[in-house]
Amino acid sequence: MTWKHWRRVRRAVQVAALALYLTLLLAALHTRAVFPLADLFFRLDPLAGLASMLAARAWIPRMGLALITVALALLVGRVWCGWLCPLGTILEWVRFPRAAARSVDPRWRTVKYVLLVATVAAALLGSLTFLVFDPITILTRTMTTAVLPALNYAITAVERALYPVEFLRAPLYAVETVLRGPVIPVDQPVFRQNVLLGVVFVGVLALNVFADRFWCRYLCPLGALLGLLSKLSLIRPKPDATCNRCGVCAGICRLEAIEPRREYEVIASECTVCLDCMAGCPQSGYGFALHRKPAEWEPYDPSRRQVLASLGATAAGVLLLRTGAHRKAPHPTLIRPPGVNDEDNFLSRCIRCSQCMKVCPTSALQPALTEAGLEGLWSPVLVPRLGYCDYGCKACGDICPTDAIPTLTLAEKRQEVLGLARVDRDRCLPWAYDTPCIVCEEMCPVPEKAIWLEEAVVTDGDGQPMLIQRPYVVRELCIGCGICETKCPMEGEAAIRVLRA
Amino acid sequence: MSRLDRRQFLRLAAAAGGSAAFFGLAGCSSGDAAPSGRIEAPPPKDGQPYLAVARGSDPAGITRAAIDALGGMRRFVPKGSDVIVKPNICQDYHPPEYAATTNPDVVAELVRMCLDVGARRVRVMDTPFGGTPESAYQVSGIGAAVEAAGGQMEQMIPVGFIETEIPDGLDLSSWEVYGAIMEANVVINVPIAKHHSLARITLGGKNLLGVIARPPLFHVNLGQRVADLLSLVRPTLNVVDAYRILTAHGPTGGSLNDVVLAETIIASHDTVAADAYGATLFGLTGAEVPFIQAAVDMGLGTLDLGSVQIAEVDAA
Repeated sequence: MTWKHWRRVRRAVQVAALALYLTLLLAALHTRAVFPLADLFFRLDPLAGLASMLAARAWIPRMGLALITVALALLVGRVWCGWLCPLGTILEWVRFPRAAARSVDPRWRTVKYVLLVATVAAALLGSLTFLVFDPITILTRTMTTAVLPALNYAITAVERALYPVEFLRAPLYAVETVLRGPVIPVDQPVFRQNVLLGVVFVGVLALNVFADRFWCRYLCPLGALLGLLSKLSLIRPKPDATCNRCGVCAGICRLEAIEPRREYEVIASECTVCLDCMAGCPQSGYGFALHRKPAEWEPYDPSRRQVLASLGATAAGVLLLRTGAHRKAPHPTLIRPPGVNDEDNFLSRCIRCSQCMKVCPTSALQPALTEAGLEGLWSPVLVPRLGYCDYGCKACGDICPTDAIPTLTLAEKRQEVLGLARVDRDRCLPWAYDTPCIVCEEMCPVPEKAIWLEEAVVTDGDGQPMLIQRPYVVRELCIGCGICETKCPMEGEAAIRVLRA
Repeated sequence: MSRLDRRQFLRLAAAAGGSAAFFGLAGCSSGDAAPSGRIEAPPPKDGQPYLAVARGSDPAGITRAAIDALGGMRRFVPKGSDVIVKPNICQDYHPPEYAATTNPDVVAELVRMCLDVGARRVRVMDTPFGGTPESAYQVSGIGAAVEAAGGQMEQMIPVGFIETEIPDGLDLSSWEVYGAIMEANVVINVPIAKHHSLARITLGGKNLLGVIARPPLFHVNLGQRVADLLSLVRPTLNVVDAYRILTAHGPTGGSLNDVVLAETIIASHDTVAADAYGATLFGLTGAEVPFIQAAVDMGLGTLDLGSVQIAEVDAA
C-alpha cells in the first residue's frame, strides 16, 4: 500500500467516525432508554476528562477511556484531530478556495494554548466553564439545540405539505413509523439560544475563510492538549534521504505544519497525521520515523510568561465569577436536573456536553445563559414552561458522563425535589376568573397529588351559585417536576410556576 | 469524481417521488370489497343486548365474553375493516397494576378478535400527556401485548392532526383531530375507568381526548366539549376496562391503595350507556358526570340503564 492508499484509509476512517458520532447522537435523542455508549466521543475526549477529574478531584471512570486518545497521541501524534474528531472532519470539508493564499500570523497558534491553560487552571479551581470551547461539546451543543430541532421541523413541514395528497399518505406513514419516535422526536424540540448557538458554530466554520481548519490550528484547546502530548510522540512523519528539498510537501500541508527552514521537519504539535505530505511527495521520500527526543519548542508555543499570565487571568476570572451576587441569592429560575443538589459540585463536574438536553424527552433541559451566572454558561437548567421532568424518566442521569447529574434509580429520582410549584391566584382560571380548570391537578404525577383542590361556591354568569374547584400546592408533596407549568392552559406566563425550592 | 449535478439530482428526486406515488397508489387500489368510511355504531338486532357486562378474574376472557354477548365482534367489524383500537395510555409512569392505563390483556384480546373476524389491519394508538408514546406504550405493557396479538402500535404523527369541523358541536365548531381516527372503518374505544377531579370520572367519552391536539386547552367547559367530540368521533364499539379501577388521585394514580379490583368489562355500541354503567362502579349515576349528561342532552346515547337490555355474564 502506498501513502496515497493510506490517505484514502484515513478519509474512510473520518467518514466512519463522523457517521458513528451522528449515529450515537441519534441513538440517544428524546428517549428514556439511553444506549450505554452514547457518550463515547466524550469519553474519548482527554480535555473533558482531564478538566472534569481535576475539578471534581476524583477519578471519573467513564472518562478514563480518554487514555486511549492520550496513548495514540504519545505514539503517533494528533491522530485524533486528523482521523477521528467529528468537528475536525467537518472543518476539513469546509474549504474556501482562497484560504491557502491568505496568511495568518503563526503566533495565533498560541491562542489554543492559552485556552488550554485557562481550561486547566479553571478546572483546578473547580470550574469547568471553559469546556464550552471543547470541540466535542461545541458540535454536540450545536446539534442538540440548533441542527436537530431544525431538521425535525423541516421533516415535519415537508410531511405537512405532503400529507393532504392522498396517494402519498401510505408511504408517508411507512416512513413515519420507522422514523418518528426511535429517530426523530414526536414533539418538536425547542431550545433557547438556538440562533446564538447556531451562529457561534457557523462562525467556527467561517473562520476557515482565513485558513484551512482555522479552529483546529489556532483555537482548539483539545488540539492544544494533544499537540503538547504529540511533542513526545514516538513516531512522526519524516522526509528520508531521497528528499531533494523541492518544497512540495510544505505547500501541500493544509495545516502549515512543515518547517522548510529545518529540513522540512514535520512540526509534531501541529501535524494531524493527515498523510497529505507523504502521499504528495514527488520523491516518495516520506516515511514514519522513530523519535526519542521531544519535538522542539516553537516560537508560537506558549512561553512561561504567557502561561503564567493566563493562569493569573483565569484565577482572577474564576474568583470574580465565584463572588457574583447569584452565589448568595441564586436566580429563582435556576432549577437543576434531578439529583443535583450541590451547585458547586455540579459546576465542577458538568462538562457542558449538552447530552442531557438532547436526551430529555420533553426538552425541559435548556442551556443556561445567565441563571447560574457566567460560570454556569450552557449548563443545563430545567425550564418548566418549555418541558417537564417526566415522572417515568431518568435519562439525563444515565447519559451524564461525569455524574454531574447522578445516576439514580427511577424510585430514587422520583424522590428528588427540583423546585416548588406556586399557584398565581391572580391568573389561575378558577381563582381569578371562576372558570373550571384542574389541568395542573390532573397532570400532577405524584401518587397522592401535590396539587389539591379546594371547593368554593361562586356566582356564575346567570347569577346562579356554582361549585368551583381551586388548585393549591401541598408543599411537602411537590417535587417540582414542572408538568403543571408546562401544561397550564393559560396563555403567556403560566398561572402555576415552579421556582427554585 | 461522480458528483451529482443539479439536473441529475432533480431527475433522481422526480424518479423517487414518482415511484413513491406509484406504490402509494398501488397500496390504495389493492383492497377488495373493504368497507369504506366509518361503520356507525350498529344498534342491536334480533334480541342482541344493548349493553353487556362480563365479570371474572381473567381480563382477556371477560373481554371476549362481553363482546360475544353483544353478538360477537362480527357485529362491529366487517371483513376487511381498517380498525383502530384506542385505549387509555395517558402516561409512562406506572405499569398496568396501577390502573392508570388500560389493561394490556383487554386491548390485546380485542385486537385478536378483530383479526379473527377478518379485519384488514388493527392499529392501536394514544397520545400520552406524560412521557413519549414510545415509553408509554412500553411501560403500560400494551405495546408488547398488542404486537404479540398481531396488531400494530402506531405513534400518532404530528402532521396527522387535522383541523376538523364538528358539525353538531355546541361549544366547539372545530378542533384538530387525528385524521386516521376519522378515516378508520372501525374505532374501538377502550377506556379504563378512573377517577378524575374535573370530569369526576374518566371513561369512554373522556378517553377521546387522546385523539386531539392540544388537550390541555380542551379543559375549559370540559363536559360539553367531550360531548361535542363524541358527536364527531362516534366510536363503533366501546369497551370499558373496569378490571382494575382507580378510585382516587386519577387520572395518573401511582398508589395501589387507590386501585380496586372490580374485574368487570362493560361493552356497548353506545358510548353513553357504557359510561353510565361505568359510573355506577364509582357510586355515581351517569347524570352526575357532566360529560355523560351533556352527551345525553345532545342525543348521543342513553343513560337510562333500566330501559335497555343488559346482558350480564359471569365468566369465572
